[in-house]
Amino acid sequence: MSDELVKVLDGNTFVVSDDCGDIEASPTDPTGLFAYDTRFLSKWVLTIDGERLNALSVDDLQYFETRFFLVPGTGTVYVDARLSVIRQRDVANGFHEVLTILNHGEEPVKLRVRIDAASDFADLFEVKDALEKKGSYVARVEKGALRLGYDRETYKRSTLISSSARARVDESGLAFQITIPAHGEWTTELDVVAQIPGFGGLEVPPKRSRRRTMEANLDRWLGGAPRMECDWEPLKRTYGRSLVDLAALRFAPPVAGGRSLPAAGLPWFMTMFGRDSIFTSLQALPFTPELAATTLRALGEWQGTRLDDFRDEDPGRILHELRYGELTAFEERPHSPYYGCADATPLYVVLLDEYERWTGDRKLVRDLEYEARSALAWIDEYADLQGNGYVWYERRNEETGLENQCWKDSWDSISYRDGRLPDFPRATCELQGYAYDAKLRGARLARLVWKDPELADQLERQAADLKRRFNRDFWVEDDEYFALALDVEGKQVDALASNNGHLLWSGIVDKSKAKAVVRHLMGPRLFTGWGVRTLAEGEARFNPIGYHVGTVWPFDNSFIAWGLRRYGFKDEAATIAAGILDAAEFFQGRLPEAFGGYERQQTKYPVQYPTACSPQAWSTGTPLLLLRAMLGLEPLGEHLVVDPALPASIGRLELLDIPGRWGRVDAFGRGRVEVDGGQRPRARAANSAARRG
Amino acid sequence: MTEPELVLFERLGAVGKLPLLKRASGTMLCELTGGKRIERWRITVDNGAVAVARGNGPADCVLRADRTLFGRMAAGEVNAFAAVLRGAVTIEGNPRLLVLFQRLLPGPRS
Repeated sequence: MSDELVKVLDGNTFVVSDDCGDIEASPTDPTGLFAYDTRFLSKWVLTIDGERLNALSVDDLQYFETRFFLVPGTGTVYVDARLSVIRQRDVANGFHEVLTILNHGEEPVKLRVRIDAASDFADLFEVKDALEKKGSYVARVEKGALRLGYDRETYKRSTLISSSARARVDESGLAFQITIPAHGEWTTELDVVAQIPGFGGLEVPPKRSRRRTMEANLDRWLGGAPRMECDWEPLKRTYGRSLVDLAALRFAPPVAGGRSLPAAGLPWFMTMFGRDSIFTSLQALPFTPELAATTLRALGEWQGTRLDDFRDEDPGRILHELRYGELTAFEERPHSPYYGCADATPLYVVLLDEYERWTGDRKLVRDLEYEARSALAWIDEYADLQGNGYVWYERRNEETGLENQCWKDSWDSISYRDGRLPDFPRATCELQGYAYDAKLRGARLARLVWKDPELADQLERQAADLKRRFNRDFWVEDDEYFALALDVEGKQVDALASNNGHLLWSGIVDKSKAKAVVRHLMGPRLFTGWGVRTLAEGEARFNPIGYHVGTVWPFDNSFIAWGLRRYGFKDEAATIAAGILDAAEFFQGRLPEAFGGYERQQTKYPVQYPTACSPQAWSTGTPLLLLRAMLGLEPLGEHLVVDPALPASIGRLELLDIPGRWGRVDAFGRGRVEVDGGQRPRARAANSAARRG
Repeated sequence: MTEPELVLFERLGAVGKLPLLKRASGTMLCELTGGKRIERWRITVDNGAVAVARGNGPADCVLRADRTLFGRMAAGEVNAFAAVLRGAVTIEGNPRLLVLFQRLLPGPRS
């Protein structure tokens, strides 16, 4: 989506408009007021005396609040400077808009103010895929307010629009005949409320006091995170941006008991996602450990309990994606919730253990014992589709399920060197790493908290066996890296991909093989100078702007950097951190989901992937995990070890008040790693170019 | 043949303590409509211990559904969460109890 659009969001409610605050959605573009995966407003256009307005400026006050400064007239020259118009909008189960018109003239003015409103009640999936509606629309004037509605059998959604100032309401909007005295002003407060009848607490209208609560909540969030001091200003900006965006992406679905966890990203993925919520919580652990706790609880409450082919559900499986829209409601899509991912379940155990190592919160580990045991059991009982001790995936929902149930979930992401795609089931390499890590971490929790040494022994035996087999079966002898996957026949799907970095993070790589793996990760086929490509140059399907076949994903790189640290490759971790953080500077501190896998020398600035989500949770979490990797932060017993290896360009870095089982501690470091990024063109010179790209 | 909702309530009434409800407490009142009169069942969870009682009473969450539809949910033929999104089943009060309740339902018949 375009950066020119203005986005205001709060959890899974968001408004996307033009820079005047107007919404005029076409069937396929993501502008409008969205809540619970449904567009509740597709038209919202302000006119004065029949004329549209012109934007003077937009102030993004907070992520949940924006102010638009407008003047009448639609040309390039402002024809009427006697009036100015301010729309201040904040999001809360719909939105609240204060419309103010100022008369700067010495005479009173009479004006016809009108807001045209309509809604197509599109499911976000429909917006994405341009599908047709099956229900019927109504628009009704009700006690001075306008109700827009959509019905399909028992499915009902409606939008209630009201104004504090008296309005003449018709079926397509609200009109005001007003007179503003000389040097006077007129104002009205407009409420747009999204309504889903019969669904628990969703019908609560926005409260006026909510804004203050949200401000206090953001202040508390920022105040609770570690403070950063750094010689390199852009890193401070990136850090601040990450914390605020992470706050914005938190949401508290009513089905999660009001607790907030990270949604995946705007605009398509403002919902509960197993994989994304877990990765983001891992990245943010040293900064805001409470995110991990809420993610674990909420995902635990939705853990699979039965076999359901349509939803690819198994007992013990952690959900992939939960949706609330019309297509999900009528089971035209399986997201109620959909369970088709093979990594979230082992990663659930990884997060639980990592959370305990940082916070010492054993109560949560005890509370979630059943869920963690069920997740561990899923790995052996339901994920081993070939019965040979590996994690495999193959969708049972062949119509609307996901083919690739790993993080690289596009259709062409898993290929042989020559570009052929393997049959199903597939066992991608990183899944084996996650399973290995989950077993070892599960063993630690079993011994320490659940007091079950037998389970611990069993998990450790399984992990050792898995590691031994993995290093034999996945290792590509002639070129010395791990194959992307095994196919049905047990043959290697032999393309070289960034997944090798995740293997380092999981610890499944034999020490003797690590150096060769690192040589590939940092070599010219994978490393661009900004980061590690998803797929190596030279593979048949390589494409520098292919979604999972050549682009650079910041999130991917943050875990690769963590993996490099795990095996002692500090300078290499610093090199990746430097590249990604340099890239962040070009995006004003907000890393996109992915950017082009071009050589840094060639393009000089990172080229954003065309339809990437932004902000996106695990990109937002990336600078946080990179900070952890650069400072070498690692819990050891009751203490936090700090072992910095920073790029020289960063200078002095201080991270103060890092929360954990130690209370709060500070970490310091000074850049000493010389990173060969070639020339380092500063972002300031190339900003505009990067934004257009 | 016994109605599937009766089978479900009987099963839940005999289940005792469920580890997946360990942290849950509260009462869900199921109001089943469509018959001569509304049938009411209460499922009470107290830190994992499940009890089922027939009849009205205070509840943290009220689930209202047509009896036939509820029976199909109880038999694993209709997904409860999708039915709520569709408005075929309505929820009043704490939706978290619904999340936990729907996990106790069987899967679809293969």
